[in-house]
Amino acid sequence: MGAFWLELVIVTLILFVVYSFFKIFFLKYFSNKTRVKSIAINIMVVIALFYVFIIIYQAAKVKYGESAFDYMVFQVINQIPNIAILTLATTAIVLIYKTSRTTNFAQSMMATFGAYFAAKTILFIGEDRWSQTTTILLAMLAGALVAFLLGVFIDAVIIRYSRDKTPVGKQMITMGLVIILSGGMPILFGTNPLSIAKIVPASEKIELAFLKNIGFISRDLFITKHSLYALLITVGLLGILFSLLRFTKWGLGVRATASNERVASMMGVNTKLITALSWGIAGFLGGVAAVIMAPSDIGPALMVSTQVNGFIAAVMGSFTSFAGPLIAGIIIPPLRGLLVSVVGSWNIAVLYAIILAVVLVKPEGLFGKKIEKKV
Amino acid sequence: MTYEKHLKNAFKNKVMSIIKHPYFGFLVIAALMLFIQLLRIAGVDIPISALRGFGKTMIYIIVGLGFSILLGYGGLASLGTAGFVGSGAYILGYFTTQQGYSVFLIIIITIIFAVILGTIIGFISLRIEGMYLAIITLAIAQIINEVFKNWTSVTNGNDGILVDNKLVIFNQFIQFNHNTIFIIIAVLLFFIMVVTFNIMKSPTGRALLTMRNSSSAAQAMGISIFKFRLLAFIISTIYAMFAGILYGSYFRIVTPTDWTLSFSLLILAAVIVGGSRSIYGIILGSFLVFGLDLVVLQNRDNFGGFFVEHPDITIMFNGLLIILVIMFYRGGLIRLVNTTYLKLKKLFTKYYNKWRVYRYGTDTE
Repeated sequence: MGAFWLELVIVTLILFVVYSFFKIFFLKYFSNKTRVKSIAINIMVVIALFYVFIIIYQAAKVKYGESAFDYMVFQVINQIPNIAILTLATTAIVLIYKTSRTTNFAQSMMATFGAYFAAKTILFIGEDRWSQTTTILLAMLAGALVAFLLGVFIDAVIIRYSRDKTPVGKQMITMGLVIILSGGMPILFGTNPLSIAKIVPASEKIELAFLKNIGFISRDLFITKHSLYALLITVGLLGILFSLLRFTKWGLGVRATASNERVASMMGVNTKLITALSWGIAGFLGGVAAVIMAPSDIGPALMVSTQVNGFIAAVMGSFTSFAGPLIAGIIIPPLRGLLVSVVGSWNIAVLYAIILAVVLVKPEGLFGKKIEKKV
Repeated sequence: MTYEKHLKNAFKNKVMSIIKHPYFGFLVIAALMLFIQLLRIAGVDIPISALRGFGKTMIYIIVGLGFSILLGYGGLASLGTAGFVGSGAYILGYFTTQQGYSVFLIIIITIIFAVILGTIIGFISLRIEGMYLAIITLAIAQIINEVFKNWTSVTNGNDGILVDNKLVIFNQFIQFNHNTIFIIIAVLLFFIMVVTFNIMKSPTGRALLTMRNSSSAAQAMGISIFKFRLLAFIISTIYAMFAGILYGSYFRIVTPTDWTLSFSLLILAAVIVGGSRSIYGIILGSFLVFGLDLVVLQNRDNFGGFFVEHPDITIMFNGLLIILVIMFYRGGLIRLVNTTYLKLKKLFTKYYNKWRVYRYGTDTE
């Protein structure tokens, strides 16, 4: 364990020294200094992250012997539902940031609202009428639609009228929403324990035979059907969302609003509709994520950790782009899974420390552009 | 003639000069708290839950005062409060029950720890600003909370530490009870309010305020952003950790579940609702967000126990207050109180003058 930390510190120091040398002696030969600097930092960060993976692998090898690699693959496969949840949450947060210029702390609560409604829908339908998959998917749709309406409602009642507030003020409004919803949901849905089953029972698994056949792993590993469904739904939803953003008039409007809301509204973009829809879609994605999470006990604190992870992913990948947070959302859960195999229950602390280091090295995010401040 | 008049009014002027002194209000608040506690000791039947509620609210006021220097003066939104307060509580728990250190040593340790933590976060705040700072401090609070959960040899994991309040002072074990600690909290609260007032009115406070309004303008005027951001975070962290020590000794149990996001959010709510740049505002906000709930609503005798069975309604009310205050009263509720007071005063003077005209006639000479 001690060697793990020592190596991490040494590698960080070496990278720092190398970068300082580069900055002092070689940077002056380039004409486009800021760009070269940013590329250099990116290379450093990628090397550092790669090295973290190597260190984790070594530590796992010490701990588990020959089957370390299999164990790590197993951990990554286990994290697939979390990848789905985190990418959905992060995309929702970034979408709202783009249109409303605020980091939405209420995202988790909107999602939990959807989960509550989905659980109530399951109770209403009855678990035995249709197969489990059909029931859960229907409940997911219902919960997500309700979360969509909640998002539109929040925008129409509160966010629309606080456009002229400072960004920190708007952020605090969303924190107020968190408090309202966390108090309101137990009143609205009752305090009786509610639960949502997995999309497919956890016992149904698919063997990853092809990985074994090509010699990638040496043991039998399984992926649950629930993970597969989660992955499919997420890829489908995000694919539709990104193609909408890229190819439709609404997407163009979102991008215009993101770059400058006032000018966009002067040019005839209906910014009110666009922000309302963005809040609605964020709620929809959150509702789906909350049902994929398949909680055994729904409470107001259900999605809080996902929310924090989503924020951190968005900061790490940069709020200014859509792709960056997505990539960060894909990286973070497997990294956490790998850390579980090495540092046990300290995984979250170490994970956040690593991400904090990355963000400190590159405050504008891994894939972000540095915005020069005007005075 | 004037000398005689002066002699006649000498006592009145002296009293007025005491009342008008800025510390007088702080003294009144602290004395009021002490009075409630002394009544209880003297045997008046004050419900124990209400008394404990006052004690807890005072601790939250101390946290809020530190937070107001950060948010109201420095303009730095932080969500790490829960982590800092928790650290203070754990320092007390670990060093008294497991190590048996002297109280003064614990205070020194707390200050050193607070300075280190504040410096780290201050450095981070130099690179990451505005909205992102809240997220990053939230991550730091999560890291601290994970340390509370996992460093079992010190923090006793999820079970938490019991603080038995057997403190060592001058090499002697002294058993403190809730009443003594209440008195200590009230006295400390007075001194902390005085210190906060002086910080706010000092060049440091004005420099922070300049920085909040425009960091570029502040730098142009020769204010070191580096120095004052660090200072703001260090002051706020020291306040939070002292509050943590008081929290540990008053609540007597410290568990990791106390230090979640909702704690930071409620402190934020108290500061925003009351008015982030006014000491009285924070007191008002804390009593509205925490005090009302802890003192009045958590009592089974009031409202037939309705709010005890439905604690979520008060939480909802807090959230609604935050949103309303941010949207409509930008200076917080204390500004509303101040403007209402001024308006009433104006109205009173107007009608008083009218009455004088009616009674004595106008000055026609």
